[in-house]
Amino acid sequence: MSPSFRAGAREGFRLCLPVSVGIIPWALVTGLAMVGAGFTVVQAMGMSLIVFGATAQLGTLPLIVAGAPLWLIVATALVVNLRFVIFSAALAKPLSGGTLAQRWLCGYALTDGVFATTLERLCSEPDPQRRLGFYLAPSLWCALVWQTATLVGVLAAGSVPSDWSLEFMASIALLVLLVPMSKVRPMLLAMLTGGALAVLLRGMPLRLGVMVAILGGIAAGFAAEHWQHRGGRRDE
Amino acid sequence: MNEEWTLWLTFILIGLLATTLPRASFIVLGERASLPDVVQKALRYAPAAALAAIVVPDLVLVGGAVDVINPKLGGAIAAVLATQVSRNPWLPFAAGMAALWVLR
Repeated sequence: MSPSFRAGAREGFRLCLPVSVGIIPWALVTGLAMVGAGFTVVQAMGMSLIVFGATAQLGTLPLIVAGAPLWLIVATALVVNLRFVIFSAALAKPLSGGTLAQRWLCGYALTDGVFATTLERLCSEPDPQRRLGFYLAPSLWCALVWQTATLVGVLAAGSVPSDWSLEFMASIALLVLLVPMSKVRPMLLAMLTGGALAVLLRGMPLRLGVMVAILGGIAAGFAAEHWQHRGGRRDE
Repeated sequence: MNEEWTLWLTFILIGLLATTLPRASFIVLGERASLPDVVQKALRYAPAAALAAIVVPDLVLVGGAVDVINPKLGGAIAAVLATQVSRNPWLPFAAGMAALWVLR
């Protein structure tokens, strides 16, 4: 590790410390929800380490419990994670100085919080090694905090009676994610369309309705943005 | 197929194909690839549409039929209201779970 990597690591770590504290409640809830869905301690921690993504974990729990086909579970997780493709594209240039192994690690450890906090600084820092440290140190620290807090949630859930319906925490967590998104009109339309279609198409075989609903929601949001944009131009 | 084995296969496939791959995609490809503008715009709506498609049926269906008067929807409303009242990250969970238990 070069001195500039270490200097970047220290700086990134300090900057992201509040973010790493903010993810603790989420990790605890994810731990509780996984046990609520019927996972053992080993299964829950296995999912947490392999998947390492709250939205994908919480979003697929109801599908896993309902016995949905494997391809649908994976496809749904992929859709909720498509935002990471955009984040990854934004990080490609700042992190291009790393080795292949380092860049895979950067990818595995990519989270919303560290991305949002470090991106601006990453794009203005000229030293590639310093950028790498600045991104990787807080990302790995957040992963450590996340797994530790998840384990606490998983162990705590063991002493909670099953009729407390802890799995409902997954639904609450997804709602809490949706609330800030709903403040943007086209996003709200995407949500309403996705939700309504999923209910209407629940009878489709292989739970295909969920996929159709998601695609319909994306189309609705995209179309609404397009129209909003055109309407805005006419007003000018 | 063994249920335990299927579960681990599910974790591995989600972890590889649905989380690590999208996250690592462009970071690993480097500057050789870029994402078209239109695709970027459309992708922004994917999480909202997907999360709603997962959570809404859970809140309005009771035994496969639409029934909007149920404890889960009550819990959901309490949780959403809680996000508007305070920035405390625990409050939506406390309010949602409390409403669910009371209404049941």
